[in-house]
Amino acid sequence: MKRPFSYKLNIFLFLLPALILFIGVLIAPIILSGYYSLTEWNGLKTPVFIGLANYRELFSSKSINIMRALKNAMLLAVFSCFIQLPFALWLALKLSKHIRGERVFLSVFFMPVLISTVVIGQLWLKIYNPDYGVLNMVLRGLGLESWTRIWLGNKATALGACFVPILWQYVGYHMLLMYAGIKGVPPELNEAAMLDGCTEGQVNRYIIIPYIRPILRVSVIFAVTGSLKSFDLIYVLTNGGPNHATEVPSTLMISMLFLRNRYGMGSTIAVMLIVLCFAFALLINMAFKEEK
Amino acid sequence: MKKILALALALTMLCAASLALAEPITLQLWSIATESDSSHQAFVDAIAAFEAEHPDIKIEHSPTENEAYKTKIKAAMSSGTELPDIFFTWGMGFLGEFVDAGRVVCLDDYYPAYADELPEAMTVNVRYDNKMYGVPYTMSLVTLYANMDLLAQVGYDHIPASYEEMQACCEALKGAGIIPFGVSGKELWCLSEYVEPLVIKSVGGDKLRDMYNGVASWNDEGVIKAIAAFQEMVTKEYFDPSAAALGNDEVKNNFIAGKYAFYQNGSWNNKDIGEQAKFAVQAGTFPVLNPDVTLYQMIGGPNNTLAVTETCEHKEEAIEAAFYLAKYFSDADYKSGANLPCWAADPKAEVGPLIVSAADMAAKADNMVLFGDNFLSADAANTYLDYIGLAYALEVTPEEYAEGLDADLK
Repeated sequence: MKRPFSYKLNIFLFLLPALILFIGVLIAPIILSGYYSLTEWNGLKTPVFIGLANYRELFSSKSINIMRALKNAMLLAVFSCFIQLPFALWLALKLSKHIRGERVFLSVFFMPVLISTVVIGQLWLKIYNPDYGVLNMVLRGLGLESWTRIWLGNKATALGACFVPILWQYVGYHMLLMYAGIKGVPPELNEAAMLDGCTEGQVNRYIIIPYIRPILRVSVIFAVTGSLKSFDLIYVLTNGGPNHATEVPSTLMISMLFLRNRYGMGSTIAVMLIVLCFAFALLINMAFKEEK
Repeated sequence: MKKILALALALTMLCAASLALAEPITLQLWSIATESDSSHQAFVDAIAAFEAEHPDIKIEHSPTENEAYKTKIKAAMSSGTELPDIFFTWGMGFLGEFVDAGRVVCLDDYYPAYADELPEAMTVNVRYDNKMYGVPYTMSLVTLYANMDLLAQVGYDHIPASYEEMQACCEALKGAGIIPFGVSGKELWCLSEYVEPLVIKSVGGDKLRDMYNGVASWNDEGVIKAIAAFQEMVTKEYFDPSAAALGNDEVKNNFIAGKYAFYQNGSWNNKDIGEQAKFAVQAGTFPVLNPDVTLYQMIGGPNNTLAVTETCEHKEEAIEAAFYLAKYFSDADYKSGANLPCWAADPKAEVGPLIVSAADMAAKADNMVLFGDNFLSADAANTYLDYIGLAYALEVTPEEYAEGLDADLK
């Protein structure tokens, strides 16, 4: 009897629907964005081919100021990697030690991931409100009137004020990834280490963390590419303001596309983001491989 | 038996055909009149009235919130498919890009039938190459709303008539612990509601219009003086110190709650402020900066418009509906106190004091120049608003503002 999957044609036919879907929803839009990035197009008239003029303008225009947006996104990536992920790892390590209420804590920390970002944005808008916001009210209550700020309206504090809810929202996501990884560590490894007299800290450092390195790599990739693509919370909280202080590449792209009708320039930013995300994903993969 | 079956079949087909013939035409209407919008009820009533008079036409109304609507209509116009038959639009730059792309029906052949009720002067912002592409229904003016109870606390029984008096009034208000002006620094168009009256009352309407049209230079003494006055209002803390973090709705509600002495914004706020404010409120205009410019050089004009798309399947019916609805909205918005009419208004209509003030200002206006972000194309409008934001944040000097706009809007 013939085995149907031994035929290449059959394999190809079975994969074809998924391939068409993959090309249609992912590859084709990227190629089209690449084409539109080389055109001057207001979304209504026929696109006019202008070569690399959009790329030149993107990196030289003071009014677009892409470098400021990239700097903000990179700053978020740094905070994600050095504050959010270590905190998520600490939580995952603590929760995996069979503490009381483990399930409850897992659910509580994961809850922000499940809530709509717009709802979270509205919640933090209320927290930061200069008049009736909880933050300023607590500061006033503690006698720290001079510490009160217009958190989202001041250029000095707006970016930090946006980062806090972004980092807070996804701690639970990374924690759950790491928690699942830690639960996959064979218990005999831990037991053997304990019998050899290792402390809890030593078990974490020399057994658990190296064991879950593939998960840590995924978390770092998600944190960095997520920072580069960050959009929703910043859009709700400040929409890139005040005076572009919290602009990130995605808010700049939306502004070019839908406020300025510059579809060509919007596509240029989209292509730049795709290239950067791929580049960072590759770099992070390489960094984790080298450490092996 | 076969004959009976054939007869029954024929009768069924005939009934189906007649039912199909009787099916009404459905027109899609897109607007920004969501349930929270002051014009919502007017849309509902107008559609019901039109459908009652035209039983063969049905209108499906899809309202979308203001900012989301801009994205929605632009995306639909870009694709050129799944467009509505009739759509709400603003005049000049906003509608101009759709007209330029050939997406909008020219109404020149239909306008004469309505010319007696809709004066030609009201169609100025929907004309491109002197051809009419939209049916305006209401016009708006930048209006200075004053909380007369707060002004009375510092000894004023009128809105200050000169710039010097306005400054003295603001100082007195500050001294009494009252915030003089409410503005949203988060929404740049709200800042433009303060900057544009200062500019027009410094350079005059004709010159401002020429600046928008790229005929006159922005690098002008009058513009520099206006921006200096605006920045003085910022540095002297005449605006709410929390302004940068507040949206326009919050600011309007704060004014209605009695937090500010003045709130300057479009006359579309007449209804909300008139109905909800628990204090004596007056509507007026900001004093002039340049004594050579008259007081009633106003920012605003006919703007809210309905237009018909080229892809519309039933153009004649859609155009008829657009004129009918526009006339209805014009009348309803005026009578409800929401806004000024573009169409001839009922002189016997009893309207609120704020709309009477707005009508008075419109009647006295020597010149009206449309809001800058409506006048300019999308790209230029955003550059222009960015400069206003920079001026508010004191990140550019008045000279840099004038030079920058002159260079970047060319």
